[in-house]
Amino acid sequence: MILSDTGESRVRGYLHIFERAMRAAQPRALTEDAVREVESHIRERVAEAQPMPNEREALERILDQLGTPGRVARAYSLELMMDEAAIGGRVVAVLRSLFHAAGTGTLAFFTALLLFTGYASGIALLSIAALKPIFPGNVGIWMRDGIPRAFGGQFPAPAGMEVAGGYWIIPFALAAGLALLVVSHRAARRWIGSLRAKRVAGRTE
Amino acid sequence: MALETWQEQLRRGTLELAVLLAIAPGRRYGLEIIRRLEFTDLVLSEGVIYPILARLSRDGLLRAEWVSDEGPHPRKYYAVTARGRQRLAQMSREFRTFTRTIDRLIDEAAIGDQP
Repeated sequence: MILSDTGESRVRGYLHIFERAMRAAQPRALTEDAVREVESHIRERVAEAQPMPNEREALERILDQLGTPGRVARAYSLELMMDEAAIGGRVVAVLRSLFHAAGTGTLAFFTALLLFTGYASGIALLSIAALKPIFPGNVGIWMRDGIPRAFGGQFPAPAGMEVAGGYWIIPFALAAGLALLVVSHRAARRWIGSLRAKRVAGRTE
Repeated sequence: MALETWQEQLRRGTLELAVLLAIAPGRRYGLEIIRRLEFTDLVLSEGVIYPILARLSRDGLLRAEWVSDEGPHPRKYYAVTARGRQRLAQMSREFRTFTRTIDRLIDEAAIGDQP
């Protein structure tokens, strides 16, 4: 079957959506290779197909057998992203996998949220450690009437509150932040590893 | 669990082995691999094969190369590496043991081909 301009547009549209979906979660090199391979697949199928009962339906059948662009892109994510995260442990890959996994179910959403909170809290503590020597009057334990109310930085310092805590906050926040990041990262890798194992066993998409 | 869900799990668990077996005789490109698997009823959506091929390549079990002069369009050919053959032999052994065990259990339960 030789595609008309309309058919060509449909194929280009499919590939465009697929490329966008891939780019959202995958490295550029993998995306380009995957798009090229999927295009090769479609062209092969089109070349051997008959325009029965018409080009449009024949083409839709081919694309239908291939799967929607989103589904194929998701399959790439599940196959590769979780591997990269679980095996390599790169922070970006782990965060991407968490983000992806969060959309797979209610329990997964709350687990991912908890882990994201762990990462965010770790970064916040490291920020406190970094900001304390620069803004000693704005970072520390915030007291009102002698009672601790908050911990962190406030710009400008709120009226009626005073900052307590000396420079000991720096090593404390540094140690606590690093510990929280390490624990969150290990937990995230472990969780993604278990999701990956389930995928291999066929229990997730 | 619905029968369809169980069948889907069975398919997914077997697909990686089936893909390696489809490529083992010689280098093949994506659509050739899919064609070899079509009769097995393992591939419900053709698009899921390509991510599996990409992962197996990344794991060093397959070697992939683009060839431009063997068809009307460039094709990405896959071949099983030495490491892939080792893995395939292990997986085949495991699978045979597994199916023999299940076959025996089915026979012992005297279910056979009852509807």
